[in-house]
Parts: sequence; C-alpha cells; structure tokens
Amino acid sequence: MALPGNSTRRIIIAEHSVRFEPSGQTVQARTGALISEIARQVGLDLNMPCGGQGRCGRCAVIVQDGGAGIRRRSTLRLTSEDLVAGYALACQTVLEGDVVVTVPVQEKIERRLVTDKTATPIVLPFTYDPLQHQSVRLLPLTLDPPSMVDQTDDWSRLKRAMASAPSSSLGQWDSGNGTWMKQESAADDGTGVVDLMADLSTLRRVGTMLRQHNWAVNAVVEIDIWDRPDGPARLIDLLPPGRTEHLWGAAVDIGTTTVSLYLVDLLTGEVATKAAEYNGQIKRGEDVISRIIYASKNDGLGELQSLVVGTINELLERAARRAKISPSEIYKMVVAGNSTMIHLLLGLPPSSIRLEPFVTTINHPPPALASDLGINIFPQANVDCLPGVASYVGADISAGVIGSQMCDSSALTLFLDVGTNGEMVLGDCDWLISCACSAGPAFEGAGVRDGMRATVGAIEEVWINGETYEPTYRVISNPKLEAQGQPTPSRGICGSGLISLLSEMFITGVIDKAGNLNFDLGSSRIRRGEHGPEYVVAWADQTEQGHDIVITKVDIDNLIRAKGAIYAGFTVLAQSVGIDLSMVERVLIGGSFGQYINIEKAVQIGLLPDLPWEKFHFLGNTALQGALLALLNREYRQQIGEAAQGMTYLELSADNSFYEAFTSALFLPHTELAQFPSVAEVLADRDMQSVR
Amino acid sequence: MPTIEVPKEKWNGKVREITLGATAAEGGTRAKTVTVGGETTLPFLHFEGEIPRPPAIAIEVQDRKPVDWSPVLLEAWGDVTEDVAAWTKAAAEAGADVILLKFSLHDELSPDYARQVLRHVLDATGLPLIVFGPGQADLDNDVLVAVAEEGKGENFVLGVCEDKNYRTIVAAALAHGHLVNARTAMDVNLAKQLNILISDMGLPLERIVMDPTTGALGYGMEYGYSVMERLRLAALQGDGMTQQPMLVTPGEEAWRAKEARAGEGVPQAWGDWAERAINWETLTASTLVESGADIVVLRHPESVKRVRGMIDVLMSKSGVTS
Repeated sequence: MALPGNSTRRIIIAEHSVRFEPSGQTVQARTGALISEIARQVGLDLNMPCGGQGRCGRCAVIVQDGGAGIRRRSTLRLTSEDLVAGYALACQTVLEGDVVVTVPVQEKIERRLVTDKTATPIVLPFTYDPLQHQSVRLLPLTLDPPSMVDQTDDWSRLKRAMASAPSSSLGQWDSGNGTWMKQESAADDGTGVVDLMADLSTLRRVGTMLRQHNWAVNAVVEIDIWDRPDGPARLIDLLPPGRTEHLWGAAVDIGTTTVSLYLVDLLTGEVATKAAEYNGQIKRGEDVISRIIYASKNDGLGELQSLVVGTINELLERAARRAKISPSEIYKMVVAGNSTMIHLLLGLPPSSIRLEPFVTTINHPPPALASDLGINIFPQANVDCLPGVASYVGADISAGVIGSQMCDSSALTLFLDVGTNGEMVLGDCDWLISCACSAGPAFEGAGVRDGMRATVGAIEEVWINGETYEPTYRVISNPKLEAQGQPTPSRGICGSGLISLLSEMFITGVIDKAGNLNFDLGSSRIRRGEHGPEYVVAWADQTEQGHDIVITKVDIDNLIRAKGAIYAGFTVLAQSVGIDLSMVERVLIGGSFGQYINIEKAVQIGLLPDLPWEKFHFLGNTALQGALLALLNREYRQQIGEAAQGMTYLELSADNSFYEAFTSALFLPHTELAQFPSVAEVLADRDMQSVR
Repeated sequence: MPTIEVPKEKWNGKVREITLGATAAEGGTRAKTVTVGGETTLPFLHFEGEIPRPPAIAIEVQDRKPVDWSPVLLEAWGDVTEDVAAWTKAAAEAGADVILLKFSLHDELSPDYARQVLRHVLDATGLPLIVFGPGQADLDNDVLVAVAEEGKGENFVLGVCEDKNYRTIVAAALAHGHLVNARTAMDVNLAKQLNILISDMGLPLERIVMDPTTGALGYGMEYGYSVMERLRLAALQGDGMTQQPMLVTPGEEAWRAKEARAGEGVPQAWGDWAERAINWETLTASTLVESGADIVVLRHPESVKRVRGMIDVLMSKSGVTS
C-alpha cells in the first residue's frame, strides 16, 4: 500500500537494441541481460576461460555509449584507461540501454602439431585375439529363406542362424570365472536358442536387409558389456555380405584441455589413426572448477555437453577421413576422462563435485547409446564411459593405472598424472591409494603472464648464463619458417619452458629460494615492470608481438604453488601409508604434459622427488592407453572397474597434513633441502665457484 | 610413600645462544649485553634440561609520541613520550633488558633523521637495542641501512625482515655488524624458510632472531602459541633451521585488542579500563613466555613488572615460592 505523498518508482523492463561489431548483427535484448549471453544468442563466440566468473578479463568487449547503456558488475582486470575507452567484461556487464558492442578478435587456439598424427606404433601388452577378447563382433550369417513350410519370423530366423554360426565366432563370457569360454555346447544343438536383443530402430531394418541381401548378411553384435556380462547379446547393425574387412571402434580420452582419439580396427586390434584437438569447452573455462560453475548457469550444461561432443565429432571426422571410412562405421567407443569431463559428456550436472563433501552423481556410469549423446558414430553403438574413483580421481586415472601397467608388478610405483589437476596413485599389484590436488593451469601456460600452450612460437627450454644472467632458449619452430632457414619468433613460454626457466633462475641465483628476484645482480633483465618485479626472457625485437616476454614475480609464485601442490600431494600420499619416497621403485608419469618435462629441471624446482633418473618413465597419455585396452579387451575393461573400485581415495582437504606439506614445498626446491641431495650438491658447487 | 619417577624426554637439539649489544671491548658502546637462548628443554622444565637464562623483556619506545596509542599507555609514560631520549631512560628504569626503538611513519622520516634519533637513544641508555623500521618495505630499507651504519658495531637487532623484503636489511646487518629479526606469518615452514633465505646471504644463524608473529589473547594467540611450541619442539629435536631464539611483540598485539583499546561503550562487567588493558598485555606475554618466547616486547611499565615477576618465579628452580 502506497502512502500518500510517496511517489512509486516504476521499474521498466524494456527491450534494447544491441548491435555487435564488426559482424553487424543486431538483436533486441531485455534490461539486465548479460552481454555474454546476448552474444551467445547471436552465435558470437567469446572466450571465457574462467567460466564467466569475471576473473580472467579475457571476454573484454568495447561498448560504445558505455555510459548509460550498460552497468558493469565488476571491472576486475580493467584499468581506468580501459574503462574510459569503453571496455567492459562481457560476462559481468548487464544491458540497460541501446548499445553498440565491438568484439575484439578472439584468440584462436592452435594445435600442437606433434601430438596429432604421430606415427609411433602402439604396443599392446597382450596378443590380441578378438574371439577371446572382443565383445563386439562381426558375424557372417547365412539364413534359410522363409517358405510356406517354414514361416518362422525374421527375428527368430536370425537368432537361429546366429546360434548355428561357426562356433568359433560366438562364445560366452563366463563372468564367474572371469574367462571367455569358447562356446561349443551352448547353442550348437540347433535348437536356435540364442539370447539376442535389438533396439526397435535396428529391428525396423532387419526384414529389409535380409531380403535385400538374399538372406546373407554380416551381423554386428555386441555379445556382452560390463553391466550385462552374461548377455543377452545385442544386435547393433546388419551389413551387406561383402563388408568383412574391418570393424571399427574408437578410444577417447577427454582431457580438460585436450581430447585425444584412437581409431581402432577391432578385428586386428591395430590403431589405424590418431587425432587430438583442444577441448571445445576451453573457451567456457580453463579448469574443471570454472566449467562446473559455467555448467550451473542457464543452459551452461547443455552448451558444454554439445561443445565436447562437437570436439569428439570433429576428431571422429578427421580420423575417419584419414582411414577413408565414415564415422558411422564405428560400432564401439570407450571414453576415459576426469569425473567432471565424464559428467559433462553425459549431461549430468557436475555441481556437487565442487561442493563439500565432493560427491559425483555416479562414478561408474552405465553405457549410453551414441545417438543419445549426439556422437556421430553408429547411432546404436554403445559409448562406454570408464569408471572413476571419486570426484577428483576420475576414469582417466583408473584407466591410467591399467594403461601404465602399474598393477602388473610388485615394484612400489608412484603414478603421476600432471595436468591442471595433479592426480597421483601409489601402490603395486596388491594395493593402490590415490589423491588429487589442484595444481592450477600454470604448467600448461595459463595463469602466467606470457604463458602459452606448447604450440608454434612457444619457448620450451631455457638456459641462463650463471655470470651474465643472459638466457638462451629454444622455440617450438614453425615448419614453414624452418624450411626457409628462418628462426621462429617467440610468442610466449609453455609449461616445459616455465619449468626449465624457473629451475635456471633458481640455480643461477636470479631468484632466491622463495622466488624473489635478486636486484643486486645488476642485470638489465631483472627489473620492476608494470606488474611488479620481473625477468625479461626475450626482448621485444625477438618476439612475434613486439613486446618483451617476461616472467613476473606473480608468475613465479604461481609456478611455485603449482609445483608445491604436486609435491605435497605425493608426499602426503606416501606418509599416509608410512612409506618413504626413497622406497619408490618406479615413477610413472602420464598426462600429455609429462612427455615434455626435463627430469633434472623438474627435480631442481622440487616438482618431482629427487630419485635416480632411471626410475622415471614418461608414458604419454596413459588414460587413452587405458581406454584402448578397455576397447579391445574385456578383461582389461574389468580390471579398470576393479582398480576404480579397489583404489583407496585419500581426501586431502580432510585434515591439515596436506597444508603442512604444501607450505613446506613452497620453497625452492623445498624447505627441507635434505630431501633433495642432488640439488644441494648443485647449489654447493655454485657457491664454491662464486667464492673462487 | 612410593617414589614417582618423573619421565624425562631426551632432546638432542639446543636453542642457539644469541647476544644482543656490544660493549666497548666488543666494538660497541653498550654498558651491558643481553644473551638469550641456550635452552635444551621446553620452557622452564628445569628438571629435564637447561634453561640457562630468563627470557628478556624489551620495552618499545617510538621516535615521536605515538598517535595511535591508547590513552592508558600514554598516561602511564607521561611526558617522556614527547622525547625519545627521555622515554628510553624511563623504559630502562621501568626494568627493560633491551630497548626496542620503533620508527613511526611520518613525513620527516628520512635516513638523516633516523641517524639523529638513534644517536639520542644510544646516548640515553647503555642497554642493547632492537630497531624496527616503520613497516613499509622501501622506508624500512632506507631507515635501517642508515641506522645500521650509524650504529656500526653495536650489534643491535634490525627489523623487520620478511620473506618479500629482507635482502637490504640483511646486507646492512652483514656490513655493519648487527643482528636481524626475521618475521613470518604464524607458520613453522615460513619461519624456517626465512631463516634459510637469510643465512643463504651469508649472515650466520647466530645473528638471526626469529619472530613467528603472534596474536593477542582472544585474537589468535592460541594459533601463535601452537606455532611457537612446534618450532621449539623442532629445535629440540635437532632441526637446525628452527633453533633461533624467538622474539614476539605481545605489547603491540594486546594494545590493539578492543579490550585494551576501548574505555567507553563496553559492558560494565569488563571492569576498570587500565587494569583490564594491563591484564590483557600481561596475560598475552606470559602465555607466550610459556610457549618458548626468548624476547617479549612490552609497552606498559606495569605489565613489565608483572611479567618480570612471573618469569622470576618460573626461573626459580625450587618452584613457586611466594
């Protein structure tokens, strides 16, 4: 009830016109709508690496008539000059009037050439026998045509033919024994009893196919799958009689950053082609937490789901083209990935993963039909997402444990998967314990001022002269320039470059053990920049952008935190089972990041334990390797399930032992130098030399 | 009556012995020096190990009358706060073992000004000194470098070194024969790390006093207590990077607490303001003494008397006598 004399203020929810430049698209939107959402409606792709939380500043746009037409909820990372120039963060700015929004050119994400299309042969740890190992089969069938004497329906006829198919081609998985029984007895009696099922959409094609091909067809049958170990078998497709050369499957690893795929011939077990691409979700958040936050926004989940499916389809398309097939000829897919990636692929809301007590919707999701997920393989093919252990130890780790074969040996093994999250597993063939910690994206070049991914132009290794403090570095070269004998200008520093740079700065005394730059050295490369103390790695004239490439104190702190978190993770893991790290016999390093780490440098900064170098083994993408094993061999698929189920999960946030270990590791190489004898030696040598 | 054998822990570590100040014979001008440290057991467990000397009490004086001090404090000191030399003398008379000279932040603060102030203080007392800058990295460096040079050879403690700003102060201590105070934010690892950083510059561990920071009673003191206790346990267990004597500033902390600051608008049950404030400082300081503090920096003369009384009792090996 309005009191007399009080003026009531009317809030007007009006429509305003928004024009996007340079595309010229114009759209009507209501007061209060976020610029980022309006942009999405018109199909403009704004990068939002922080997931739209207003933290990263990468979605900045220029708003003409910035005064009245918009309201900025946050201006983090914008300077006052930026504001005068009309810059606004699209994810934090709401519409209040008619505006013209200029969208700057969005940074394109380039692919690292070497990870895609490489030709290294993949060696399986077993001799592949599809009859023994494979659950999806190609069965050549010849049916007796129906007649007035035999009016059996097509489906029963098909089942009968299958029952009398050569016994070698069909068998039965004995889940009790965990072995594959060659089926001699079960269905050879000609009674036609085979337990077979099919989706309605498959059934619809049965009659036509049988008649069209004169009662001789090839059946693609999924004999069993982990949640139906005793069948019934499922008819996936019927093929014309000639098509018996190949039967295709795909193994996929969905990384937070990179999605990788193997296209595999299920008849031979050979990987025909490989493909890798950045996860299309990156522009909606660079780490899992940002993605979870984005997924909780209005239809964010749907968008992230279709983005990753888009990436997978693109990879399928590319791999299939190289193998000269169509993606629809793929009848089986196995997927590894961290728990958040699997949730997003399946369209499961991931929000509970982020919130205490950190629980997933499901650790062991059931198989899903490709058509239900939008994946462009054969629509009735199953997509089998491998099981995870916990919210932050996902299927990529259970697959990695099997892919790395750490369980095959009684040697005490530490398995590390270093990425945005560091996951680690300690154990041997009898026991496994795992934990996860957030290292942040620093080692992947994100969250570092001049950091970048390992693509063309990235500085990937650095050496610093101990007397002049001048650096020498190696850049990932552009093949075209290289062919012309020209150097590739540097654009930034990638993860391996950062590790190498940090180590060199430390060993040469450019920074102290806490990462402070030493201004007493008198090097012009050590200076106070716009963002505080920094070291110049490359002067502007050697770079592509024409500005100095630097590492700032803030970057150094980020890197030290990242390495500290990983080191603390496995020290606490070892402590929790009363094991000294020196007892570890093998350190297996997975994750695409691992392949490019220089062990010596990584030990010098205290990222890896100070063990003899021969104990370290870089295995590349162990999650994808695990997915491949699961794709080819149901015993491995079962082992992954058992590993996921049997692995102990240590929640690091449950007490303060991780924090203690972490602060102790926030030092170069570590507060307890005694844990790094080889580094102590290097430092002693250095000090001796400086005395001379 | 059955005999009860008191269980004893066997420690193999010892707190470093550090001497503040230098007499004429030692290259300074101090009438006396003060040594702290040397414990081989937890605080005051005389039956188990050596507690060779009592914790020292430092009284804080400032270069000019503090603008942010409680009227209770200013009243207790009276007019001497107007003149740093007079204040220093009064502090010595109030029972200080060591004088802590703290420079406050104001426009006249300059290296030359700091030298003059130091001169007055050195002339006013024969006690060893601790000198703290105003707490802003660049100014601290300017002031402390000047002061270190001016007081060359006096072996006083320069502070405050922090992990982001220690190089200049340590270099000044190295060049002019002083000690440093290494302050870290209530964390065992951070304390160790700063000791390592400073000793990496070549300053012997015998010249580093560590300041693990503390909170006042009711303001996180128990956290500081626990960190100090853990540092001392590590020291006794033989961890060389934790064997520095500990300096803490309960005076500054306690007088920041509402209970000490506020005279009006508080429940009547809180009682007399001055008594309450002094209690706050005394209780904070005596608790920290029990957790292993080797130097406590106090502000109120009455608190000094009470803390001294407590230390005397704790040091008498026969136990509580009065």
